[in-house]
Amino acid sequence: MKNWIEVFSIVDFVSVGILLTAVALNGMRRLESSVKAYAVNSWLLSALIGIVAFMIGEFHLYAASLVTFISKGVVIPIFLRKIVREMKVTHEVEPYISNALSLTISGLLVAIVYASLKEGIFITGFSRNVLQISLAVILIGLFTMITRRKAITQVIGLLFMENGLFLAGFSLTYGMPMIIELGVLFDMLMGIIILGIFAVQIKRAFASSDLDKLTILKG
Amino acid sequence: MITILLIPVVTAIICYLLKGHRLTGYVSMAGSLLLALASIPVIRDAFSSGISEAGLLYMDGLSAYIMSLVIFLGIASAIYSIHYIDHELHVGLIDKDGIRRYYGLFHLFVFTMLLVTVSNNLALMWIAIEATTIVSAVLIGLGYTKRPMAIEAAWKYIILCTVGITFALLGTFITYYASISVRGTEGILNWTELRKVAPGLNPSTMKLVFIFVLVGYGTKAGLAPLHNWLPDAHSEAPSPISALLSGILLNTAFYGIMRFLSIVEPSTGSLFTGNLLILFGLISMGISSVFILVQENYKRLLAYSSIEHMGIISLGTGIGGPFALYGALLHILNHSIAKPLMFFASGMIQAHYGSTRIDRVKGVLSRLPFLGTLTFLGALSLAGSPPFNIFISEFTILKAGADKGLWPVVGAFLVFVVVVFYGILSGFSRILFGNSETETQGLRIEGSGAVLQRIVMFVMAAVVLILGIWIPDFIDSAIWSGVRSILGEGVR
Repeated sequence: MKNWIEVFSIVDFVSVGILLTAVALNGMRRLESSVKAYAVNSWLLSALIGIVAFMIGEFHLYAASLVTFISKGVVIPIFLRKIVREMKVTHEVEPYISNALSLTISGLLVAIVYASLKEGIFITGFSRNVLQISLAVILIGLFTMITRRKAITQVIGLLFMENGLFLAGFSLTYGMPMIIELGVLFDMLMGIIILGIFAVQIKRAFASSDLDKLTILKG
Repeated sequence: MITILLIPVVTAIICYLLKGHRLTGYVSMAGSLLLALASIPVIRDAFSSGISEAGLLYMDGLSAYIMSLVIFLGIASAIYSIHYIDHELHVGLIDKDGIRRYYGLFHLFVFTMLLVTVSNNLALMWIAIEATTIVSAVLIGLGYTKRPMAIEAAWKYIILCTVGITFALLGTFITYYASISVRGTEGILNWTELRKVAPGLNPSTMKLVFIFVLVGYGTKAGLAPLHNWLPDAHSEAPSPISALLSGILLNTAFYGIMRFLSIVEPSTGSLFTGNLLILFGLISMGISSVFILVQENYKRLLAYSSIEHMGIISLGTGIGGPFALYGALLHILNHSIAKPLMFFASGMIQAHYGSTRIDRVKGVLSRLPFLGTLTFLGALSLAGSPPFNIFISEFTILKAGADKGLWPVVGAFLVFVVVVFYGILSGFSRILFGNSETETQGLRIEGSGAVLQRIVMFVMAAVVLILGIWIPDFIDSAIWSGVRSILGEGVR
């Protein structure tokens, strides 16, 4: 089984899947599909942690994988879907720039990360690609946050950034101590819930979920 | 140490469960006073030597210093809140449920800040700093049904700070990674242990760490150009919360940078970290001085002044050496007394005049002599005029810079400080002097809450004045103890 994982470079496959879901986010037109992309991204992240746990036989990584799956793969997507429905938004993402252009730019971001980390100081244990991919996911998440108009898409961009961050942390350190990982996840969960509540309030207060309307405070 | 952490949590729960709003205010005050009593022996011990507890917690001079500021401002804000919230309830900006939530979150907020100061584990510190963002964002957005701007401010605040602080977590991960290659087996995150192996860490990795951490915690500490959330959040939050945000939250984030500084510096050398801190400090001072000049809203003016003062603290830390660090730590103390005083005062001015616009408020000094005088003293102090406390710490930092021969930095510092001096005094003289034609709303000033409010502000104004003339021995030795925790033993 372990050989089988290495022969077919399953780790690389899964991490490329993480990258692809992040890139695909740029091409999505509907809010629901962005949430789905996030869910798939989290499942892949959890699977990757599980596979590495199997390869090196670390027990606490199995736990990390399970916790990731439950919080990021199940709870947060369900919560986001509920928010999207409650806000009754038009489902359109309405980016500032066209989808084609944003796909091109996210491709460029990936290229830049690969070019700049070609002979980096990081040699990670289980794959040479994971760190690059994680940084690319962080940048794509950031890029999504900048170019989307809806409050919820900003939250999704943030979530992708955090998935990228978890991947980076995992590839650098093989997982932090469990208590730390739980603390970080708890913070994140709280933050997302509060952002969700605020997003609904923005919709009520400004009669729109476009962040363009948030321009009273300046200077 | 555990007791210190437990008291605010218990207070928060009690405040949330209590029904009567006046009673809740006094319970919250009692809770913060109890916290102060319980913490005195621990803080005193920590100033003389470091204390570890439960593997994850650690206190030394620096943490004790920041912690005492958190506790002091916690008391001041809790006392000020009683009457402030009473008034908000009176004018209908908050309802009874809102009050329970306010006091509950208030003490949770204090708890998260205390947790930042006692974390030995760098990741735990990150968790605590992120928790301060979440709790305070809810506090800023409180009562949003009446004030849509508050929710805009809270949204900006939580999004920008969470994105920023994500980079700090990456920096923490990389630190862990760097420690693996030194120790060979398990990585470490405990500051005390990292500090022992600090000279052996890979310099180029640690450079990366410092950049990520500076960007991450710098966003939270309000260093320009990542400060955009700060004026909105500080001007829209309830005034006691503005005082906490500005007076101490920024400093707890900067405390994170200081902790990393003493790990990064031994491996990269002080030139790299120092130059980055000086650069961010000067940019913050420059940007804020421009915005202070053109500001039309006095609460936003105070917020920009916070950015300027964080810039000065960063500059002082960047110049390095015992005396500059002494200046920076003294500046933290001075700023975190003068700025809350001003936010308290501006909260009362806002309650009287019903506006935060400079051109709608006139003649505070003639109409409200007590409040006007305190505001005047606070404004003079914030502007950095002698004989007030901020002048002393700015002068200490300036002198340390001159001693090191950093003349361009000293020159730029002076220019910005002069611009800010003019900006703050011209802004506040417009609201303090002149004849008031606008009708004040007439604040209900009866009740013991109002008296307590005045006492707190009077004490803070007195401290501002006294620290400008004379620094008591216990503060002096506390600051030196803080300097020692950054630079290592053997300094004085």
